Amino acid sequence: MSNSIAKLLALDKISNFFNIIRQNGGIRASMYKLYRQDELKDGTLVGEDQFGNKYYENPRYFYSRNRWVEYSDNFNMNYDGSQVPAEWFGWLHYKTDLPPHKDPNRPKYKWMIEFTENMSGTTGQYVPYSTTRPKIEPWVPKPKSSV
Amino acid sequence: MQVVKALGASAPTVFSVIKKGGFAPMVDIIRQTHLPAPNPKERRPYSPFQDTSNMAEYAVARLDDLLNWGRKGSMWPMTFGLACCAVEMMHIAAPRYDMDRYGVVFRASPRQSDVMIVAGTLTNKMAPALRKVYDQMPDPRWVISMGSCANGGGYYHYSYSVVRGCDRIVPVDIYVPGCPPTAEALLYGVLQLQKKVKRMKTIQVWYRK
Repeated sequence: MSNSIAKLLALDKISNFFNIIRQNGGIRASMYKLYRQDELKDGTLVGEDQFGNKYYENPRYFYSRNRWVEYSDNFNMNYDGSQVPAEWFGWLHYKTDLPPHKDPNRPKYKWMIEFTENMSGTTGQYVPYSTTRPKIEPWVPKPKSSV
Repeated sequence: MQVVKALGASAPTVFSVIKKGGFAPMVDIIRQTHLPAPNPKERRPYSPFQDTSNMAEYAVARLDDLLNWGRKGSMWPMTFGLACCAVEMMHIAAPRYDMDRYGVVFRASPRQSDVMIVAGTLTNKMAPALRKVYDQMPDPRWVISMGSCANGGGYYHYSYSVVRGCDRIVPVDIYVPGCPPTAEALLYGVLQLQKKVKRMKTIQVWYRK
């Protein structure tokens, strides 16, 4: 009864606030998280992938914001969306409600290659190339003499 | 091909390299201009410039970090909506994707903008105007090519009146694929551009000279 009255008066927001700070590991850690991911939420840890990204869920938040990822500390400030591996992508985007370690029906073949993030801008990037003779010849202007 | 062009836009030797069909030198160029492939198990430092050998280099690298931080935190795009991609470009300005949280604010004047988003089919008739707008932008300037049509002509590749890729007119930094790309994809392109800006070596190159 007292719980619902507190909710009616929106006093549960205060306890939520302190709860969130406690869950994120104190004021200092909360400030760092706020700096790193612009958001401070409380939730239950659903799982962790091979890179150390942690996946959380809290149905109190509205749909599409109630599942989220906290990137591994290794990524530091260089995290981006392509670092979520394919197994977790479906869960994070509501394609399935079963996280990979609870889903028995995921295909697993030995020819499946390991997931990599977007390598653009690094030496690991994909560079397309043509195997046919070019049909046009580019114009190569004569460089102006610098003297 | 386009990637290679974008990589070596400043180096005059790239054309001859492609002409000869040499693939090995291209790999060398990538090795020089790009970061090494990241290891997901290693902690990544904020700055891409970690291999400094003395105090002066260290100081110059940190100055570059500061400059790049400022540049990537406030990239103002020139709105260059040419076709239906422009609708998606409007979406990233709207509250759902909200580009303003990355400091990306649309400007109407090329003289106030850092990055041009070429959104849509570039026709032969529009090409001189595009080039003129690009020429009016102040110097550290970047171009995001958005959608198939801007990347390489796309659906209109064989049309008589369409430029087959806006990289024939202006040097392009980021290609966003899609027809049209989602607002999310464009936002990811903006973030990729931020990453690229982060490894610019303005002051370090000046110091090397």
